[in-house]
Amino acid sequence: MSAPIERIFVILDAAAETSAAIAAAVRLAARSKTPLHAVFVEEEDLLSVAGLSVARHIVPGARSARLTGAEVELHWRAAAARARDDLMAAARAQMLRCSFEVVRGAAETVLAGVAKGDLVVAGARTRPFAGHLRVRSRWLAVLEAASGPFLLAQDGHGTKGGIVVLLRERSADSARLLQAAARLAEPGATPLTVIAPPALATARSFQKWIADQVEPGGVQPTIEAAPAATTALLHRVRELDCRVLAIDAATTERDRLAEITERFACDILVVR
Amino acid sequence: MADPEDPAVRPRHQLGFTPGRPLPAERLYRRCDPAELPFALCSELEEASGLIGQERATEAIRFALRMRRKGYNVYALGMSGTGRHNMVEDLLRAEAGHAPTPPDWCYVNNFADPQQPRCLSLLPGRGATLAAAMKRLVEELRAALPAAFERDEYRVRREALDQQLKQRNEQAFGDVQQQAEKKGIALIRTPMGLALAPRQDGKVLTPDQFDVLPAEERERFRQEIERVNAELEAIMRQAPQWEREHRDAVQALNRETTGFAIAHLMEEMRAGFADLPEVARYLDAVESDVKENADDFLPAPPPEMPVPMPQQAIRALDDARFRRYQVNVVVDNGAQKGAPIIYEDNPTHQSLVGRVEHLVRFGALVTDFSLLVPGALHRANGGYLVLDAQKLLTGNFGWASLKRALNAGQIRIESLEQLLSMASTVSLAPAPIPLDVKIVLIGPPSLYYLLSAYDDEFPDLFKIAADFEDRVERDAETTLLYARLICAVARREKLRAFDRDAVARVVEQAARLVGDAGKLSTSMRAINGVLREADQLAADAGKDIIGAMEVQAAIDAQFRRGDRIYRRLQEEIGRGIIRIETDGTAIGQVNGLSVIGLGALSFGTPSRITAQVRLGRGEVVDIEREVELGGPLHSKGVLILSGFLGGRFGKNRPLSPNASLVFEQSYGGVDGDSASAAELMALLSALADAPIKQSFAVTGSVDQRGQIQAIGGVNEKIEGFFDSCRMKGFSGRQGVIIPAANVRHLMLRHDIVAAAAEGRFAVYPIDTIDQGLELLTGITPGEPDAGGDYPSGTLNQRIAACLDAFAAKAAELARNAGNGARP
Repeated sequence: MSAPIERIFVILDAAAETSAAIAAAVRLAARSKTPLHAVFVEEEDLLSVAGLSVARHIVPGARSARLTGAEVELHWRAAAARARDDLMAAARAQMLRCSFEVVRGAAETVLAGVAKGDLVVAGARTRPFAGHLRVRSRWLAVLEAASGPFLLAQDGHGTKGGIVVLLRERSADSARLLQAAARLAEPGATPLTVIAPPALATARSFQKWIADQVEPGGVQPTIEAAPAATTALLHRVRELDCRVLAIDAATTERDRLAEITERFACDILVVR
Repeated sequence: MADPEDPAVRPRHQLGFTPGRPLPAERLYRRCDPAELPFALCSELEEASGLIGQERATEAIRFALRMRRKGYNVYALGMSGTGRHNMVEDLLRAEAGHAPTPPDWCYVNNFADPQQPRCLSLLPGRGATLAAAMKRLVEELRAALPAAFERDEYRVRREALDQQLKQRNEQAFGDVQQQAEKKGIALIRTPMGLALAPRQDGKVLTPDQFDVLPAEERERFRQEIERVNAELEAIMRQAPQWEREHRDAVQALNRETTGFAIAHLMEEMRAGFADLPEVARYLDAVESDVKENADDFLPAPPPEMPVPMPQQAIRALDDARFRRYQVNVVVDNGAQKGAPIIYEDNPTHQSLVGRVEHLVRFGALVTDFSLLVPGALHRANGGYLVLDAQKLLTGNFGWASLKRALNAGQIRIESLEQLLSMASTVSLAPAPIPLDVKIVLIGPPSLYYLLSAYDDEFPDLFKIAADFEDRVERDAETTLLYARLICAVARREKLRAFDRDAVARVVEQAARLVGDAGKLSTSMRAINGVLREADQLAADAGKDIIGAMEVQAAIDAQFRRGDRIYRRLQEEIGRGIIRIETDGTAIGQVNGLSVIGLGALSFGTPSRITAQVRLGRGEVVDIEREVELGGPLHSKGVLILSGFLGGRFGKNRPLSPNASLVFEQSYGGVDGDSASAAELMALLSALADAPIKQSFAVTGSVDQRGQIQAIGGVNEKIEGFFDSCRMKGFSGRQGVIIPAANVRHLMLRHDIVAAAAEGRFAVYPIDTIDQGLELLTGITPGEPDAGGDYPSGTLNQRIAACLDAFAAKAAELARNAGNGARP
């Protein structure tokens, strides 16, 4: 059995869509009755960019120019204040214990603060630039260095729908993923569906293994055989009104993960 | 045509009285003989269907109703209570019954410009049908459109479009990103935008690391960054165009999907109103709008940050999305048979032309075509609108708005603020509705004449005056008609039956109300009051039938309720506080009579008129005028006295005396010339040094030739003096001198008639001032001989002698003054 969730650890920064991460974190904290801790990251890379004479800064509607350190500092402060206000307001509404800190450093350094029992939440997407253009979220890269459950929030406001776990094998990683998903499902008795390759899904031993991974008396997962075609799988996941899609560690290669976040609008749960 | 009752026209022996002699008691009151009434109870009679004696007004209104040309509106002028409302309503009802039912009028949204709602005219009853059909259509669209947009066909096509846009963006941006990464350029999302910076080993170079790079490498980075920057800027320029194309494509798809989904619904709608091209055009506009705004019919996506809102507000917002498809039926003639007859009791600008209402939504006032509220002109359009002229003129801009609508021939709903240019906020300017209405204004004659004189537009807009009589000739026919009217009132108001004596008494009261024994009042309001109150008195007495006694009691009670001031005046006369002599003689003093109107009650009261003469320049001084208590008519009467004196006595001699006239103990204004005869008599008494009998009171106006002319309120005046005599004590010699022309007006109280019959009180008609003087002084006035001299001992001779004496004294004084002598 995995450790129960003891704290929701939400990572925020000036580039990501913080509203999805805040809403998901607050919802999870409220459901699991755990405290909430937020870290706003001021990524040092940006200061480096500001110091480079060759670097350019493109702002929609204006000519590209040099980025200055003062500008970066100013916008960080504003973004941090906004994120703190939004988080505190949402936490207050749910009567949650909540803390907030600002950390400056490389994106990965923030993971140093993550404790065992933390569920890390971060925005899966950066804010769009000039309409629909998005650069890849740095948290997809950071995730590779993470350990434990990590939720990439995309659809922070969804409160309905079930949790779908995509398993390719019966392994320790798969077990941890399933256990983490079951933890998320428990507080609200959210439907939990496990989709596995047909051979695996229909195996009695697999079903028993699944049953062993979840708390007795807790949410009992439904097991489905994955359709052969990828599009059919996508269609099925949508049919299940998936709110959280849990994917195993083997899928968490950065590009693959980026593709999944593109294809699904739901939150993505990864356990490493 | 000459009036046979006129003493100047009728031979004296035919008058039924002799001027200068007491009137016989039967001339003081014209009875209605119950024996001549052909019924025992008025309930036996057929009800009268209309009013008495209003043929002129009826003809005028009927003509106006036939005349459908512009400006042939009606002003029904007459005294209050003459039954104008009832008669107008009856005539309109008769005409409206077979007039065509006017169309319904609806306001609908103008999809091209919502600030200017369109109006639609539909056959009676079709407005509500259209409104219901539109409501049903919206409900069906709310079901049909989401279903259409949920279908796989749509979703697949929509996803393809989205994907196309996404791919375009990704393709372009991805290529740049890939190229950048290959060349070691990092794309970093900043709080404000996107930064391009050199990178090595997945890390952005710090300035120190960059500075130690070889110059060529630094230059390469610089060039690459510039290239990526240029490509990104190109994409950013291109992206909005792709967005636009995507939006257009989605919109076209939505239109197509919507069009397909609603086609059959719209066809059904059109089929239902195929006979109405205006409605068909409106439905075309609806269809286009639905296609353009199909999103409104789809379930709204959940808000990014849900704002807690009460259900009521959510519903209001939901309804607001579809308000523009509502039909505001401002005039629904579905249940109307014939032309409408509307009476607007409060004719203000808004109540006539309608108003634009507002809703408070999130603290702001908002409005649209569905909040247009019709006015009386809308409801009466195609029919008749009855208005009270006084209320219209005092109502808030009612008159101005009515004239504007009639002149323009259309009803335009606009707020008063807009009308007066007091508000600059954007509001609605609804399309005007063509106006075809007949207005009937009901008001007093004075207002009609004022409007005619001072409002240039009035004669053009109200070409027909329906002039209501306040009295009709009293004869056997009208008396019977009156009885039938009483019957109608009794039936309508469920009163007890009136017996013939009661009816006769009511008829007599109708004559008294107009102060004319030969006429009957057409003011049914006062008569109705008597009937109702007599009924109550009969009920109090436990009677099933109303008799003359109850009618008389009702009349007396009405007077008694309002006679407090009258009683007080009479009491003060009786106590000598107001000095009125009703016996004895006095030189230069006559009891004049005046009428005081207080509310609904009029009563007469005597006043002492005194005259003083002295040597002067032949002027008659009206003291009332000098102190500005005399009105112009009174002053005119006094000036006529001077004319009389000059005409009778000034041909052979200068008029040297100055005279002054006054109403003693009069502290209010005096107007009218009805005391001019009394004033002249006082003046002549003073000149002749002839005592006047104070047992008489005099009323009547006099002309320059000494002829006595009729006055108003003769009954009240006689009754006032009679009551004063009662207070002071009857002597058997008391009476009132009145113009002979007023004899026909006499409808005196029964106690006075009885006193006259018993010789305790008398009414003397006179034609000339001499007849009055002879009565007052007992001295023969005398006729002038060929030389203009009067016989010795006559009153006129004494006056002439007095004037001669004044003239001689004046001449003597003038001579002395010329000789330098001092008096």
